[in-house]
Amino acid sequence: MNHGPLLFLAAFFALASSWCGFVLAPQLQVGQMQQTNTLSGGATYPVARPGEAQQGLQVYRANGCASCHSQQVRQSGTVCDVVLTEAGTNQAALIPALVTLKCGTIPTQAEQRAAATAKDKPPARLQEFSEPGARDLLAHLPQPVRQGLTREEANADVKALTAAGAKASIWIVPVGPDISRGWGRRRTVAEDFLFDYPVMPGVQRVGPDLANVGLRLPDASWHLRHLYAPRLYEKGSTMPPYRFLFEKRKIGKEPSPEALALPAEFAPEAGLEIVPKQAAKALAAYLTSLRADAPLFVAPLVAASPTTAAATNAPGASEPVSTHAVPTTAPTK
Amino acid sequence: MPATPESAEPRAGPAAVPIVLLVLPFLILYWGMIYFDRNSGWFSQEVYAPYYSVAELTLYQPPTGGLDLARGKAVYETICALCHNNDGMGKPNQAPAFVGSEWVLGSPNRMIRIPLVGLAGPVKVKDQEWNLAMPNMGAALSDDDLAAVLTYIRVSWGNKASVITPAQVKAVKKEIGNRTQPWSASELLAVP
Amino acid sequence: MFFCSACWLVLASAFALISSIKFHSPSFLADSACLTYGRVHTAYLNCLLYGFCLQAGLGVALWLLARLGQTPLAQPWLVIVGTLLWNAGIKLGVLGILRGDGTGFEYLDIPGYAAWITILGYLLIGLSGVLTFHQRCELRLFVSQWFIFTALFWFPWIYATAELLLVKFPVRGAAQVAVWAYYNTNLSTVWLPLVGLAAIFYFIPKLTQRDLHSGYLALFAFWMLILFGGWTGITHGAPLPAWMPAISTVATMLLAVPLLAVALNVHLTLYGKSWHRSADIPVRGAAVTEPADRNVRAPMPPPDELRPSLRANAPLQFITVGAVALVLAWLMKMICAGVDVAYPLNLTWLTPAREQLNSYGFFSLVMFGAIYAILPRLTQTEFPSPRLVRAHFWLALLGVLLTVVPLAGAGIVEALRMHDPDVPFVAIVKSTLPFLRASTTGDLFLAFGHVIFLINVAGLAVRFYRPRVAGAYADATADLSLSEAQP
Repeated sequence: MNHGPLLFLAAFFALASSWCGFVLAPQLQVGQMQQTNTLSGGATYPVARPGEAQQGLQVYRANGCASCHSQQVRQSGTVCDVVLTEAGTNQAALIPALVTLKCGTIPTQAEQRAAATAKDKPPARLQEFSEPGARDLLAHLPQPVRQGLTREEANADVKALTAAGAKASIWIVPVGPDISRGWGRRRTVAEDFLFDYPVMPGVQRVGPDLANVGLRLPDASWHLRHLYAPRLYEKGSTMPPYRFLFEKRKIGKEPSPEALALPAEFAPEAGLEIVPKQAAKALAAYLTSLRADAPLFVAPLVAASPTTAAATNAPGASEPVSTHAVPTTAPTK
Repeated sequence: MPATPESAEPRAGPAAVPIVLLVLPFLILYWGMIYFDRNSGWFSQEVYAPYYSVAELTLYQPPTGGLDLARGKAVYETICALCHNNDGMGKPNQAPAFVGSEWVLGSPNRMIRIPLVGLAGPVKVKDQEWNLAMPNMGAALSDDDLAAVLTYIRVSWGNKASVITPAQVKAVKKEIGNRTQPWSASELLAVP
Repeated sequence: MFFCSACWLVLASAFALISSIKFHSPSFLADSACLTYGRVHTAYLNCLLYGFCLQAGLGVALWLLARLGQTPLAQPWLVIVGTLLWNAGIKLGVLGILRGDGTGFEYLDIPGYAAWITILGYLLIGLSGVLTFHQRCELRLFVSQWFIFTALFWFPWIYATAELLLVKFPVRGAAQVAVWAYYNTNLSTVWLPLVGLAAIFYFIPKLTQRDLHSGYLALFAFWMLILFGGWTGITHGAPLPAWMPAISTVATMLLAVPLLAVALNVHLTLYGKSWHRSADIPVRGAAVTEPADRNVRAPMPPPDELRPSLRANAPLQFITVGAVALVLAWLMKMICAGVDVAYPLNLTWLTPAREQLNSYGFFSLVMFGAIYAILPRLTQTEFPSPRLVRAHFWLALLGVLLTVVPLAGAGIVEALRMHDPDVPFVAIVKSTLPFLRASTTGDLFLAFGHVIFLINVAGLAVRFYRPRVAGAYADATADLSLSEAQP
């Protein structure tokens, strides 16, 4: 039997089948994707990055940033929160309803720790729920009253609360370790990369995930300083300093407005200043444009205020405090 | 340099494949089918892990709560944008802007009345005097559509105002009854 | 071709060392744009994969085709030109990466302008291979030929797909991720094992002078690998619809079948109650299930006589360790993909650990073994120092252990700590540093091993060519002196 053609056919068949499955089908499904609408504002998503950010993407590629940083946020599940927005006028019915629903929220680990060490009484949410707790709750609306539910449970709770005259809504909250860490509010999906070339979701996290770094750290000058001297912000950082993206030059008649403001141990000698080159500025522009948190049909989450025509991809977040919110104090790395 | 004596070419022994190994792929495929059924969304483009089907994904969509902006946008672009422009900035000598307009951001009752019967006569919008006639573009719309488009106008392009519900539209329609005469500015300002 | 691969390997390990050291002192060589970690690490991966692995693989493949077909290599000039083109392409490509022109797709980083030179080189070499296969005198096929012949076609298809759809006419958006994963998995989970298994299934029987335990088992592994291996690429967290990771997971679990087939085959060939060459017609099918039959079988040397051969025979040691590494690498892949709790492991150091185990621990070690076995037979010359060959083996083994195990450890630690959102990222980085230090030491061992490899290959080449050169020189000067003698 002449094995040559048989082997060739075998190889061809095997290759063709996996090619159809993983090259052709994704091209038909994902490769033909068009812009879609966000859930909250009906705005088109995504919007192409501004020109400097596109250049920055090429700088990111050229310097191999993707070998240490990923741009994929993963999600392990979705839960519903029931949020009481208005107490209505029938408190007599509402308070028993709240108590029956056992409206204590599931505290986060941080809250538990805080409660364990707090000298004052922990907030009403964490206590065994009772009437005084319910009254306390009503004093601080809007407030999530139950968290971590399935959609059916949340629907039932909203029905009960509405029957008692209050107004409640349901928040859709993606959960997962990446999300708890503040690296994103929902998982990254194909739409987030629609206009990027090359798409670099990354293979490893030697450094933090960058999918939403434009939300966490929106200041371009922070990025410039960090690129110049990563140890400025984090003593133990293993990120190499990208000093070749900057130019050390003599201060002219007056310091350049673009010169980096560095503390003493990283600053150049007197009379010199560090000025970012175009590549550094482009990279900073790209990093600040990285956001992937617009609510979409394929990745739903609740955003309270609708999107306005934004140059980048995210709506402003101005909803009341939730225990699932991204901490906005120190930049979480 | 004496080379090592060359041994014969290897032969493949005739041992058969153990039955276990023949059955194993089928067992794994069986598990695989169950896994695929549960985790894949059946080739849907819209289902991403951790969702497992379009039905579940739909279940977890946020409740619109009156905020059906896609619908509102569609209605707006069909009916209102001709004069008021797609970006809500209006057209000079044709229609005033919606962006930042006190008539939009103010009381819903006023705003709902305008498209139901129209507005004529001098009216001040953002310190600018207009004296044209707006036809009753919203008269033919359903409660839901009118509520959606008014909400869209109230929350887009930087406007931040409350949602208008179909119930509110219905109530206003009831109040104005069979009126066909366009409003004047002073009449509207009298409405709370 | 082998000499070139050896040079690339040394270069690759130099890059690897540089990238590794950068973890411990990030400012190391930081001022130079072309030596920044992102570029150097990428250059290392590509040097290793394209400069060494693919080239050595092709060399071994050609030799196996020629030897098993009992025919000389067809059109050797094709191979020579192809090798020159390939090396030129990779050289240009690596320089391009260091300059900043890398494509951004890991393992496919060679810039487009160098890629077409490379593929042209491959096509020429592949053509020679196909012609060799076609003109074979020995018509019965040994299993290795199945593997190699398929591999020859496999690479151009996937490489052309990847280059066209990612570099030349890029597909839009996240479809790039799918094509990239397709290429990656077909290269590392299918092509490398195809050639590597060809070498394993050939050399283990040949070097131990026993029959391969089961030709059918090997072919079974072959079919399972090519049918399912190409589907395994897409990880759980990728920004693609859920059906793609789901299919990949199922395909990865199906890798268990070739894994077991290979493991069984290799183990039973080495240690099993196999049939010795001098035996009578063997009893069919009895080998697997009846250990008691051992004594009943036709004359077979006691097991002790066979064990020492493993120890003394360096190529065999390489290849056996390589086979074990393949089994482990596939096992790791299955664990990462199939087990729910293992999903966090996907974006940690465990992925590079597994890749290292696959491309280095498995493929490179098998290639070393094959090269050490082939070169003496090819040139009819012995290696100048067998001790150096053994030294290389131990350095390589230690190096592999010291790179893969710490990196895997780092990955597991990272995954566990990443799961707790209150652990700051810097603390996680700090906890992986000791592991990275260990792996740098491993890289150092590997680098020494590579230098020794280069010395070995160079030494043999010198030994081989010296008589020829001397003879040619003698001829040339003889003519001269003759002509001078006649005025």
